[in-house]
Amino acid sequence: MEFPNHHRQIVEDLMAGKFMLPNERTYQTVKDNEQSYTYFFKASFNYELRLTQDYAYVVSEESAEMLSRDICIFIALLSYELDRDGKNFLERIQFSEFEMEEIENYFTNSSYIDLILSNKQLKDADARKNFINTLNRRNIIEKTGDNRFVFTSAHKFFVDFATDIVKYENTEKEG
Amino acid sequence: MKAEPKTILRFLLEHYDAIAELFETQSNEGIIKFEVLNQIVTKHESDIRSQLIEYKILSPVNDNYEIRTVYYNLIEFILSEFKPMLPETIEKYHTSIAELFRKIRENINGDKVTLSQRLNDLAIEVRSFYEMVERNTQSLLQETRELKANVKKIDYREKIVRASRWIDEYIIPLNKILDINHSTSVANKLYEISEFSNKYRLNFDDENARVQFEKLYFQLIQVNDNLLRQSKILTNELLPLIERIRTESIILTGWITYLKNPYKRKAPKLLKRKEVSVYSKDTFYNASEIFEQFKNETDVYFEEEENEAEKWIFDKEHYTKKLKDNLPVENFFSWCNKTLKEDYKKVEIEKFFALTTLAFDEDIEREYGAKPQFDKIKINDLTLTVPKVTINQQSQLIDPQHGIS
Repeated sequence: MEFPNHHRQIVEDLMAGKFMLPNERTYQTVKDNEQSYTYFFKASFNYELRLTQDYAYVVSEESAEMLSRDICIFIALLSYELDRDGKNFLERIQFSEFEMEEIENYFTNSSYIDLILSNKQLKDADARKNFINTLNRRNIIEKTGDNRFVFTSAHKFFVDFATDIVKYENTEKEG
Repeated sequence: MKAEPKTILRFLLEHYDAIAELFETQSNEGIIKFEVLNQIVTKHESDIRSQLIEYKILSPVNDNYEIRTVYYNLIEFILSEFKPMLPETIEKYHTSIAELFRKIRENINGDKVTLSQRLNDLAIEVRSFYEMVERNTQSLLQETRELKANVKKIDYREKIVRASRWIDEYIIPLNKILDINHSTSVANKLYEISEFSNKYRLNFDDENARVQFEKLYFQLIQVNDNLLRQSKILTNELLPLIERIRTESIILTGWITYLKNPYKRKAPKLLKRKEVSVYSKDTFYNASEIFEQFKNETDVYFEEEENEAEKWIFDKEHYTKKLKDNLPVENFFSWCNKTLKEDYKKVEIEKFFALTTLAFDEDIEREYGAKPQFDKIKINDLTLTVPKVTINQQSQLIDPQHGIS
């Protein structure tokens, strides 16, 4: 039985909950063998493979709900604060580098401070530093230095979620 | 109008602040109410109501007022505060320009005076058309930039609505009007007129008409260039900008809705990493499986096993007597084996060894041959090699209970 190139790496990365990005060689292999990998993950682990032009990842019925929620809160707060600061938040998230100092400024002076303090992963500078490392492990950000990072194209997974909230609410209103 | 033009212009200059405020009122509300007019006039401490009517700046509408179009357009132009017009308003130029062009083409050899008048009117219509397009593009751009900067602090949902309306109702239809490749667009009609003018500016018998065709031709070249520029502003700058406002506003609205109560809303599914842990889901089920075994516990009774073979106790007195009765015993170990076989069906090794202890009694007389002799005795599966020992009749055996007997 023959497997595509980088098969082991693909399985290890996706099973570790990582987002696979278009600039990775493994992404291209998954893209070229989308049907096979969809079947492979379904038959082997009952996981669903999702492939978009921005990322590939697998999802199971059992979800890391808490982490997903905290990532949403993190990106939502950052977007809100950037916009409030007069920045093009979408452009900044897509194309710019962030320094932890900037993140700290936004979070410590945020009007959502109660929400931040009540969240274990975002409550203070140390917690946020650990959280950034978690995002790095999942390939949602890429660390460019000790205190610097850029968002990867996987951030669109969460941005799409924000768009869906509005669509869902509009549909409910219309319904 | 009795007043001198300079008097009117001077009046406009002197009372510009009050007139600008009236203009703003009409722009926002569509009309200037009687009481609002009085308020503005009182505020600026000069009763100019009669002059406003006399110079035909204001005209009465029922009990209210409005600024006459000519002054309104003038102030609008001075302030550069144009409101975007619906493309339907601009589209009307397609009819007027196409109709004039049709008449020019069909009557090209007709009355020269009429032709000249029509060429003149066509040039005016083209200019008006272009000015309206330019004003609309600029005003849309200005409004969009304001929306982007959100100077009026508009709610995100309202921003989505506005951006969507501008795209659907203004920008896309306006772009259609300016699309030269679209056969029914105004730009396409202007291109057709430009080709026609080019032909007749070079080859027409009436010189005056040739000059007018030439003037029209160069005007159209200029207008086409400008329209192209406006079209580029629409597609390259305005449309992406307004699309981004719409997208950003949708995302931010989504995030703000989410942040209202993130703990009650479902987050998108992320793969849960499998980690080996004693606190795994399986541990729970395994543990519960063990405990389930004790749920329906029934009493279990163990019956004490009866020992079929009674514990054998060596009766030394009995066998001492037996040995005494059989003296002399030539081969002690053979006698032991034979005696036990007589008493029991099966001879166990422990019985055999117990009986042989009689030979170690201090008071018996044992005799070994001059040369050691050995016998082999088989007890069950075991074969023992034992020496040949003779017990003589003369020996005094000790009674275990009563000493020497």
